[in-house]
Amino acid sequence: MGKTRIIAETGAGQHGVATATVAACFGLQCVVYMGAEDTERQALNVARMQLLGAEVRPVTSGSQTLKDATNEAIRDWVSNPTDTFYIIGSVVGPHPYPMMVRSFHTVIGEEVKQQLKRVAGKGFPDALVACVGGGSNAIGLFYPFINHPEVQMFGVEAAGEGLDRRHAATLTQGAIGVLHGAMSYLLQDSDGQIELAHSISAGLDYPGVGPEHAWLKDIGRVSYLTETDKNALVGVELLSRTEGIIPALETAHAIAALKKIVPQVAADATIVVNCSGRGDKDMQTIMDNL
Amino acid sequence: MSSRLSSRLLTLKSNGEKAMGIFLTSGFPSPEATDLLLGAIDEGGADFIELGMPHSDPLAEGLPIQYSSTCALKAGITMQGTLEIAAQFRQRSETPLLLMGYVNPILRFGAAKFCEHAAAAGVDGLIIPDLPPQEAALMRVHMQKYGLNLVFLVAPNTPDERMKEIDRLSDGFVYCVTITGLTGTGLAGRLDAINSYLKHASDMITYNPLLVGFGIQTHDDACNLSKHTDGFIVGSAVIREVERVWACPGLSMAERGQRVARFVRSLKYGPEK
Repeated sequence: MGKTRIIAETGAGQHGVATATVAACFGLQCVVYMGAEDTERQALNVARMQLLGAEVRPVTSGSQTLKDATNEAIRDWVSNPTDTFYIIGSVVGPHPYPMMVRSFHTVIGEEVKQQLKRVAGKGFPDALVACVGGGSNAIGLFYPFINHPEVQMFGVEAAGEGLDRRHAATLTQGAIGVLHGAMSYLLQDSDGQIELAHSISAGLDYPGVGPEHAWLKDIGRVSYLTETDKNALVGVELLSRTEGIIPALETAHAIAALKKIVPQVAADATIVVNCSGRGDKDMQTIMDNL
Repeated sequence: MSSRLSSRLLTLKSNGEKAMGIFLTSGFPSPEATDLLLGAIDEGGADFIELGMPHSDPLAEGLPIQYSSTCALKAGITMQGTLEIAAQFRQRSETPLLLMGYVNPILRFGAAKFCEHAAAAGVDGLIIPDLPPQEAALMRVHMQKYGLNLVFLVAPNTPDERMKEIDRLSDGFVYCVTITGLTGTGLAGRLDAINSYLKHASDMITYNPLLVGFGIQTHDDACNLSKHTDGFIVGSAVIREVERVWACPGLSMAERGQRVARFVRSLKYGPEK
C-alpha cells in the first residue's frame, strides 16, 4: 500500500502495544493516541510502547479516555491519508473496519474450537462469555459460533459505579446513534451529545460499541449483562486465587458475570470465558482499590 | 434552483462577484451573543451564513471550532436553541442561512422533525460533514419535502466519479475542502497545489456552484482561492476574531459587534485603508 506511518488509538494500551510491536517489526513510524487519564492508569503500557519506538500522544480533550483518543486518531488519519494507515483497535469505526477487525479476532473463536477438542473432546461449548467495550474480543470469540444456536453467548459490559451513576453499559443503557462513522448504540443525552463513559477498566471505558453487537442484541442472539467496578475487582481476585491467572480488569468483568451465568445453563455445561488480557498493566489500580 | 441560497449565488455570479460564506458556532461565546454576531456578520457583507450546531465530538474540526463548540455546549446551547436563534435572524434578514452540524444530534432530534423545524425557522439548507452521500437517501427525502438545500463536500482525494456523483446529489452548492485535513489548518505553501485541484474540481462539478473552504484566513487567501470557484467560506478565522474581540477589556456589546463586522468586511474587500 506504500504506507510509511501507522497510527492507532488505545484505551488499556494493549492495542497500542500490539501496534507499536508490528510497526517496530516492519520499520514503520508509529503514533498512538491515548486519553491522558489512560496514560496514567496504564503507565506500564505507555512505557512498553515507548520502548518499542512508538510516540504516545496523550489526548486531553473531552473525557480524556478512549473515545477522545479515537477522535484524535481519526483527525490524524483524515489529515494524512496518503502516507498513513490507521489500525483501529476494536470493531468500531467506519465500514469496513468493524468487519476487518472481526475477521482478525476470529482467531480467538477458532482457537477455542481446537482447544475444546483437546481438553473436552468436543468442538462446541455450551456457553461463551466475554467482556464488551468496543467488543472486539467478544466478536472474535462469538463469530465462529453465531450460526450454532445451541451455543449460548453472553457479553458483559461495564456498569462502572452502577447503572444509575457513571458507567459504560452502552448496549444495556444506550440509544441508537452515530459515532466514529458507524451507527450503533451510544451513551448520549437527549440532544444527541455523547456522554462521558466511566469504567475502572480503560478498555471498557467507551460510550459506543461495535455495530455488530448492536445487531446481535437486537436479534436476541447474544445476552448482554453488566458488572460494576467493584464486582470486577472481585473477579480479579477470584481468578487469581482459583486458577493462578491475574486477569486484566476488562476480563475480570466477564469472570464476575459467571455468578449470574452459571445458574442459567445446564449443570454439566461447558462454559468458555475469554481471558482477553492480563492484569500486569492494572496492578496499580488493583492495589489502590482492593 | 429557486431557493434563497441558489438565487443569491446566481445573482452574484451574473454580476461577476465571488460569494462569501461566514461560519459561526451557535452559542459561542454564549447563546445571547450569537444573535448579535449573526447581525454583525450580515452587516459585514456575508452573502450567506453557516451556523454551526455544536457537537461533543466534532471530528472534522481543528482546535478553534472544537474550542468554540465546547464553550457553546457549556454555555447551554441546544439544537432547539439554535433553531430559535435561526428563526430570530430570519425575522430581520433575508441573507441565506445554512445549518452545519454532525449527524447524531440531527438523528436524535428526529431527521424529519428537524428538517420541518429548520424550514419553519427560515433555514435554507444543511451541511452535514459526517453524512456520506451514499447514506443520505432518507435525509434527502426529508429535505426535499421541506425545501432545504443539502450541501455535500469534496476533498483533494475525492475520485472524479465520486465528485460527479456528489455534484448530482448536492443542491445549493458543492463545498470544496482545500486540504485533506481539519478546519483551520494553515495553507501556507500549498496555494498552487490547491488551485490546480480547484481547477480540476470546477471541470468535474458542473451542476452546482463551487465554494472553497477550510483554512482561509485573510482576504488574500480568499482572492487566491476564488479564481476557479464561485466563492469561499471562512470559519476558524472568524472564531479566532470573536475570541480576540471578547478578550478585549472594556468593549460594549455594540462595539464587539462592530469589530466583528469590520473583520468580516475585510475578508471580502481587504483591510480598511
